[in-house]
Amino acid sequence: MKYYLKLGLILFIFSVVASGILAFVNSLTTPIIAAKKAQDEIDAREKLIPGAVFEEHETVDGESYFIALDEDSEPLGFVFIASENGYSSKILTMVGIDADFNIIGIEILDQGETPGLGANCENESFTAQFAEKQALNLKVNQDDGEITSLAGATITSRTIANSIRERANSLKSALETGGEQ
Amino acid sequence: MSFLKELTKGIIKENPIFVIVLGMCPTLAVTTSVVNALGMGLAATFVLICSNIMISLIKDITPASIRIPVYIVVIAAFVSIVDMIMEAYLPGLHKSLGLFIPLIVVNCIILGRAEAFAGKNTVLMSIADAIGMGLGFTLSLTIVGTIREILGAGTWLNIRVTPAGYDPMLIAILAPGAFITLGFLMAVMNMIKERK
Repeated sequence: MKYYLKLGLILFIFSVVASGILAFVNSLTTPIIAAKKAQDEIDAREKLIPGAVFEEHETVDGESYFIALDEDSEPLGFVFIASENGYSSKILTMVGIDADFNIIGIEILDQGETPGLGANCENESFTAQFAEKQALNLKVNQDDGEITSLAGATITSRTIANSIRERANSLKSALETGGEQ
Repeated sequence: MSFLKELTKGIIKENPIFVIVLGMCPTLAVTTSVVNALGMGLAATFVLICSNIMISLIKDITPASIRIPVYIVVIAAFVSIVDMIMEAYLPGLHKSLGLFIPLIVVNCIILGRAEAFAGKNTVLMSIADAIGMGLGFTLSLTIVGTIREILGAGTWLNIRVTPAGYDPMLIAILAPGAFITLGFLMAVMNMIKERK
């Protein structure tokens, strides 16, 4: 009995030391990582609609979006983040659209899809084709839409197209009913 | 047992992939491109060196019956530290490797070397073993990655190397391609060994 207690105690000490070190490293890196993520979002917004001033708003459902304004405070369009579970991860896509819901550009913020297949959704060759497409009826070619899916990654491509379409439609209806806060 | 011998054995004689056949999961999963293969190899090498040093240091105070859980705690701690530090200070690299870093915890080469070598040898020899095994692992992954990327995507290190008319063989970067490539490479490796 004593022997087993001793073994447990030794393993306990190792685990405590390891957790202590991890907690310390985590406390050092968490703020840096959070700041970096926030900066990434700001950069992505700037890239989608350059030179605009962004104003954060929330729909009644509590989903946040940004209105892009030019120097004269005239609205240029909207920026929102669409998120949906893809093939093996949650895909976060930042989307810039103009006032008529035509896509200005998209930027994949985060994904953990299959390397070599779905992960190619970050490539410019895939994201560039979203520009100037109508966001309200965005679909991949398998669903008779205009977006050409990535080879071997239909689920990833479809997820991105569908998540953008759904967010765009919910944003449109929220704006029409004046559900802005 | 010389330092140099421990250092070089991992590259051909005891190559972790083609000879010991350890760490098949990352070998099959991440070798879709050369960049991924190199990144995975180097990150695993770094963790392997850290864990081998640590484990050979604590080998005298670790009771034999609980050595495996202790090794796993040590390895998991190092992987998590590498993951967090990389995300904070090398975000670009972390982004392209993100998914593979937690996978290093379950990479059996690291636990295998802890059990077979670092738990019985001095710190210096364990470092040599870790560097050798890490290099062997990285090299093997890069070879598999090179073949798969050239056949499956027509590129090498993201640079186009095939003529314009080449239609990429998609199967090479899908899962079956990994098994086929690995099978051929192992056959070649056995051929070389039998010649000797």
